[in-house]
Amino acid sequence: MQQVAFNTHISGKFNTELENLRNSVLTMGGAVEQQLIDTIKAIRYNMPGLAEKVMLNDAAINSMEMQIDQECLRIIAKRHPTASDLRLVMTISKTITDIERMGDEIERISRLVTKQQLPSSETVKSSMLLICEQVAQMMRGTFDAFARQDEQSALEVYEQDDLIDNEYNKLLSYIVGEIEKNTESMRDWLEILWALRSIERVGDRCKNICEYVVGLARGEDARHSTLENMVKRLKNFS
Amino acid sequence: MDKRWFYPWRNAAQRQTLVISLCAFFTAGLLLGLVGIILLIFARGGGYFWPEDIYEFGLPIDNKPEVRVFGEFQGSQGLASLGDKSARYWLVYSHSNPPYKRRALVAAHRVQNADIARHAARVLLHDGRTFLAKPVFLNKHDERGRVLDKLPAYQQQVQRLTDQIETIRDIHLGPLHRKISTLTLKDSQTNSGELLAGKRAFERWQSKVIQLEATRGQYTLTLEFADTNTITVPLNQLKQLVYPGQLNQVEKLWLTLGNIWQFLSQPPQQANTAGGIFPALFGTVLMVFLMTLIVTPFGVLAAVYLSEYAPRNAVTTAIRVAVANMAGVPSIVYGVFGLGFFIYGIGGQLDEWLFGDSLPAPTLGTPGLFWASLTMALLTLPVVIVATEEGLRNVPAEIKAGSYALGATKAETMWHTVLPMASPGIMTGVILAIARAAGEVAPLMLVGAVKFAPNLPVDSEFPFLHLERQFMHLGVLIYDGAFHSQTQTSGASMMFAACLLLLLVVFILNIIAVVLRNKLRKRYQKET
Amino acid sequence: MLTLFERETLNLATLNDEQTAIRVEQLNLAFDKKSVLSEISMRIPANRIVALIGQSGCGKSTLISCFNRMNDFYPQCRYEGKIIIDGRNINHRNENVAQLRARVGMVFQKPNPFPMSIFDNICYGLRLQGVTQRRQLDEAVEQALKDAALWNEVKDRLFDPASVLSGGQQQRLVIARALALKPEILLLDEPTSALDPLTTLHIEELMAQLKKRCTIVIVTHNMQQAARVSDYTAFLHQGRLIEYSDSDTLFTTPRKKQTEDYITGRYG
Repeated sequence: MQQVAFNTHISGKFNTELENLRNSVLTMGGAVEQQLIDTIKAIRYNMPGLAEKVMLNDAAINSMEMQIDQECLRIIAKRHPTASDLRLVMTISKTITDIERMGDEIERISRLVTKQQLPSSETVKSSMLLICEQVAQMMRGTFDAFARQDEQSALEVYEQDDLIDNEYNKLLSYIVGEIEKNTESMRDWLEILWALRSIERVGDRCKNICEYVVGLARGEDARHSTLENMVKRLKNFS
Repeated sequence: MDKRWFYPWRNAAQRQTLVISLCAFFTAGLLLGLVGIILLIFARGGGYFWPEDIYEFGLPIDNKPEVRVFGEFQGSQGLASLGDKSARYWLVYSHSNPPYKRRALVAAHRVQNADIARHAARVLLHDGRTFLAKPVFLNKHDERGRVLDKLPAYQQQVQRLTDQIETIRDIHLGPLHRKISTLTLKDSQTNSGELLAGKRAFERWQSKVIQLEATRGQYTLTLEFADTNTITVPLNQLKQLVYPGQLNQVEKLWLTLGNIWQFLSQPPQQANTAGGIFPALFGTVLMVFLMTLIVTPFGVLAAVYLSEYAPRNAVTTAIRVAVANMAGVPSIVYGVFGLGFFIYGIGGQLDEWLFGDSLPAPTLGTPGLFWASLTMALLTLPVVIVATEEGLRNVPAEIKAGSYALGATKAETMWHTVLPMASPGIMTGVILAIARAAGEVAPLMLVGAVKFAPNLPVDSEFPFLHLERQFMHLGVLIYDGAFHSQTQTSGASMMFAACLLLLLVVFILNIIAVVLRNKLRKRYQKET
Repeated sequence: MLTLFERETLNLATLNDEQTAIRVEQLNLAFDKKSVLSEISMRIPANRIVALIGQSGCGKSTLISCFNRMNDFYPQCRYEGKIIIDGRNINHRNENVAQLRARVGMVFQKPNPFPMSIFDNICYGLRLQGVTQRRQLDEAVEQALKDAALWNEVKDRLFDPASVLSGGQQQRLVIARALALKPEILLLDEPTSALDPLTTLHIEELMAQLKKRCTIVIVTHNMQQAARVSDYTAFLHQGRLIEYSDSDTLFTTPRKKQTEDYITGRYG
């Protein structure tokens, strides 16, 4: 299927609306990315103030989600988009949910800093930061792929999630070992485990968005299929 | 048992075939009738122009068993060929006693020894007389048989003499005559010297003319009939001399065309039995033209009022019904109305106001071209109104609405949009009106058309167009010819020729109008 | 808080005279004894596209025709109430209706070019206004055709008959014809119902362009169209104005049940 440019409608206003919608998603994505970067900074340097700001900023992201959702609704009601336009609007509608949830997860991570429950072990902290950095990179890649509607780079980003999962599992088993050594520190570890879980979830949501991008670009639902399958089907397409 | 077993058309297909056959049968009958009419008129009317071969044959006339005559066959009665002994023919032949041209219905067996007479000629005189005879010599002193060689030269001389006579009449006699009559009217005593001089000059010129005429009179043509009697005619009377027996088909065709031209361009002679019909043609076309000029604006305006401005109530409906019924009123009623209202009523009143001096001799209160046109306009008015209304109704409402929406008033919309779009419809009405007016006879005879009018309604005399003059009309001419044909021999073929011409005139007027209408239609009606 | 999307923020109830193109006050209209419009009061904002929607026979076409008094052609039509355009009550008996119609252009359902050349079609209104100078006409024709996005298609055949144009071009020609008079208000009575979808989109885009120049009131049977093109939408039902608000609100969250039923296709 040939990719259709979104700004070629007869109605100039519709073009502008779709462009604005797309840009607003990128704006929202950028805001979430900034949240993650701020969170990493807050963890690394233990800055509760910055973490506080991240938590407050989440409200702005929620508002963005509402606005974009409203706009999607309005466009569907007024413009009756079809085919690629409809897929775009629906994809955006789903994407922003995922982005909003990413924001929520990030808020939860930054809560570690505000509650001063950061891991005392430098090893764990650095591993955690490593995963965070990887997720941030993945997020950047995801939004980049979304902006360019480039399913190839979306697939590359998709693959990164396995690395993150590996790291996550390694760190998880390490922490489980630590807990077994010292069961009293269980309470402290629990919060960290939640935060780690959140980071991993952010990666998963990036993966979701990548799936949407592939679906949007190819006009086929690419979710919930294994990577091999997807690659095979992509080969069939091209 | 099926009750309808006895029908020959038992199933739907048969019934349908029967219906179609019936329709086709009646259509064919109609077609045959039409073709018959056209063929008859073409044959009889066209034959008027074709130079028939002249035969020499014996015929029992005036108790004599056999008189040799020159004559021509004008078609048989019934469908028989020339060789058929039992057939009866219309013969047109020349006799040495007046009337020279005679017509008779003769049985074939009574025609004896018919032979083509190569040396016999059809001789046409300016006064309309026709001879079928053998030209034998020019002037008394000339030898026989060399007529054609010398004829052109003689005719030239005669023409020169005629020119001289005309010149003298125009330049000298005419003014002298006027001068003398005015002098006589004024006072014969005081101007007696002048009067005398004038009279003397007049006499001098007069005698000169007489002398010239005498000279001209010496140029004669002597014709010999088949019974060897001769007649001598002055050469200046000779209009046409043709030997049909010596012409081939192409020459005959040329001659026919010449005859047609003469027919179209010459005034009638011999009480509408010979000569051309130009005044009638002219009168018909002029009358129709004037009528169109009158009826179109009247009809269109009336229709516009009726369909656009008149309130939609019972009165309007009644008017509309009345207009439709007007189309069915017999035309003679219009004639009587025109005579009573236009001529005696309006014309008489105008005479009283404007030309009181010349009463009781009427000036405008007599039948004339204008009144005839007006009457015909009245007669055709309903046709134009109905057609125009139809045309106006066919203008789409959205076009009108579009015009109003651009700030046009009702009148502006009418003028700029609706009327142009209705113009094909209006033209249809005008076509019908023209066809009807050109063919009417009865009312015209009451209001201005005459058998013979001395002057055309248009001439070089101020005001050039004389609307009060009586005029000649093709239909009236045909009617007149038909009357003649019952009593006289010579009118019939002319009548048919005039019929043919009338058909052509109506046809041409219609063609012009149809072409015009199609042009308008192309321009103003959207193709769908 | 960051605002991602700009929104219309005119309050229809409190428009001032400057912002109002047409003010309708207590308009009642009846054909013979049958009431067609009852107690319509609305303000139509200037330089906006206002759509009138409703079922057939709800009076929307009648209402739009009130704005240039096209209803006057029905002798049985009686109306009362005020319609104020440019500070004047056009329902007044002394109103110069022809002049009014020159200022309030109207385009109808079926393209109705006059049977003349394209050029003459556009000059029609101007000539009625007394413009005869050829140069003035030339300029006006070019401008009007450019405004109606038709210039490039017809500039080489201005003197061809208008009937050679396609349906969409004819409708744009009709719009150009109205625009040549530089109207303040353009009334469109189902302007695209006789056209194919793509041509319809072209006309709609044209409307969006024309918004800068004049106020547009459009009657449409096509709700999607109303949603697409209009800034404000009025829903009429049985001669009454049921709901009148900005289209975003009306088509996403209508306040009245009747509106909801109509726009969601729930009428019996």
